Amino acid sequence: MKRRDKIVSALLLTPFMLVTALVLIAIVNIVIQSLGYMPVFDLYDVTLKYYAEVLKRPEVLQSLGVSLKVSFISSLAAAAAGTLICAALVRTGRTRGGMLYTVRLPILVPHTVVALFTVAMLSQTGLFARIAYAGGIIGDYTEFPGILYGTGYFGVIIAYIWKEAPFIAYFSLALMSGISGTLGEAAENLGASPFRSFMHITLPLSLPAIAKGFLIVLVFSFGGYELPLLLGATLPKAFPVYTYIEFLKPDFKLRPYAMAMNGMTLILSLLMALIYAVCMKRLMKKLGGGYEG
Amino acid sequence: MKDRRAMNTVLLITAIIIFLPVIVILVWTVTARWPWPGLLPESYTLRTLEELLFGSNQLTEILLSSIMLATLVAVIGTVIAMMTARATEIYRIRGRQAVGIAALLPLLVPGTVFAMGIQVSLIRMHLNDTIAGVVLVHLVAALPYCVTIMMDVTAAVGDSLEEQAAVLGAGPFRSFIDASLPGIMPGVLSSASMAYIISYSQYFTTLLAGGGRIKTLALVLVPYIQSGDRALASIYSTVFVGSALIVFFLLEAAIHRIMRKGR
Repeated sequence: MKRRDKIVSALLLTPFMLVTALVLIAIVNIVIQSLGYMPVFDLYDVTLKYYAEVLKRPEVLQSLGVSLKVSFISSLAAAAAGTLICAALVRTGRTRGGMLYTVRLPILVPHTVVALFTVAMLSQTGLFARIAYAGGIIGDYTEFPGILYGTGYFGVIIAYIWKEAPFIAYFSLALMSGISGTLGEAAENLGASPFRSFMHITLPLSLPAIAKGFLIVLVFSFGGYELPLLLGATLPKAFPVYTYIEFLKPDFKLRPYAMAMNGMTLILSLLMALIYAVCMKRLMKKLGGGYEG
Repeated sequence: MKDRRAMNTVLLITAIIIFLPVIVILVWTVTARWPWPGLLPESYTLRTLEELLFGSNQLTEILLSSIMLATLVAVIGTVIAMMTARATEIYRIRGRQAVGIAALLPLLVPGTVFAMGIQVSLIRMHLNDTIAGVVLVHLVAALPYCVTIMMDVTAAVGDSLEEQAAVLGAGPFRSFIDASLPGIMPGVLSSASMAYIISYSQYFTTLLAGGGRIKTLALVLVPYIQSGDRALASIYSTVFVGSALIVFFLLEAAIHRIMRKGR
């Protein structure tokens, strides 16, 4: 590369580097503070005790459990439903136009509004409870199951699925329609049924996009704040909600505890990404091997 | 075609599940009383709507500041993404792949974790409770999508037209504007649209970086949902999603026009 080109490309990259540096700075801040090093508040000892103490609190483990459960169940369901919607769009040839815009709508709806949607539909005086009453299934609104604000976090899970299944469908659409139009059609021309062609050709080859979408919504819902805040139980709280309460405590000597909790979220999120990367590598090998054999 | 019929049913159910809550919220915006167990409201009113438009409410102000903030993020995010994509796809720098991976990093760090982690640094840089600080944290959330979109479209368009323009005597800036920009314009608009929506939807990052002083629709909506004032929450939500949809469809329409012209 010419010297001038080198300078130009470095200049072009600078703003991106600066913004990305913010993420790294945030990570460094969390690591340093969670290890108890906060010179401003006369905390100098580097120690793992904040992690150890936080891990000993039963409510921390309960919160972590809730967040892991909510994110895994909702993301798995969203991946399954999203794949089905994507396949339906491809199979019916509606990869553009009105139906596609319908599927894209939930992506545009902010989580706060999704929470309001969920309340209007699923609360004990929501539309479904009224329909159940009209149909004679329940005699009073107290008989309608408490989907919202309960320790099962069902409302949060359903809200996430409503929002993320369309995201995964849209995210996988380009790859799936490309494969279905070429290799999938070839399989059908050779006599495979549409179902068989989908299960053996289109679905496995679309997995990279579906899995990537799954990872994005998994990490997002694991660290998500608005939905569990607005639809979750008072106790146990979702982990990010609990972490923020700890973060807001005015005594700054307690800050390392909140940061240790953020550190745990960070470690678990990166672990999810790592597992994804390993699985993808294996999948690619398998798919690649399939071509040769 | 049995499977096609089944797939159409899947799409019909999907559409119903997507639209049903939207319709219910729209009904709520004009509802005066909707007591249990009625399937429809008992009486309707335009009172909440009037209060909102002509009352002492600050909705218009908050709407404008949300739009301004999201527009800033959309423009800055897309320009940064264009520059980044140019460096990796046209200048083909070493470490192209590293840039692609670095661009996805914010997706692996939850927004809550990032916001709480960066706060000390924002305070140190005197950016806390400022628009600049909020724009910065929103950019972090938007850039993964902007950069991915711009890298794809820049790689597809390349710089052959631009080189021809340069050979014919156009300056580097002129040849980029006249030769390459029209080709990557659909990508520019979808990147802007994505960044706009992401900034518009941010709640936690705005709350922390803005310290409650930078008010957006996402921020003011939450207390209404918490207090259970369904009529007001519904109106705010309608304005919130409605204004996002208008911007989204304007940009979509522009993309379609360019694509059709290009063909």
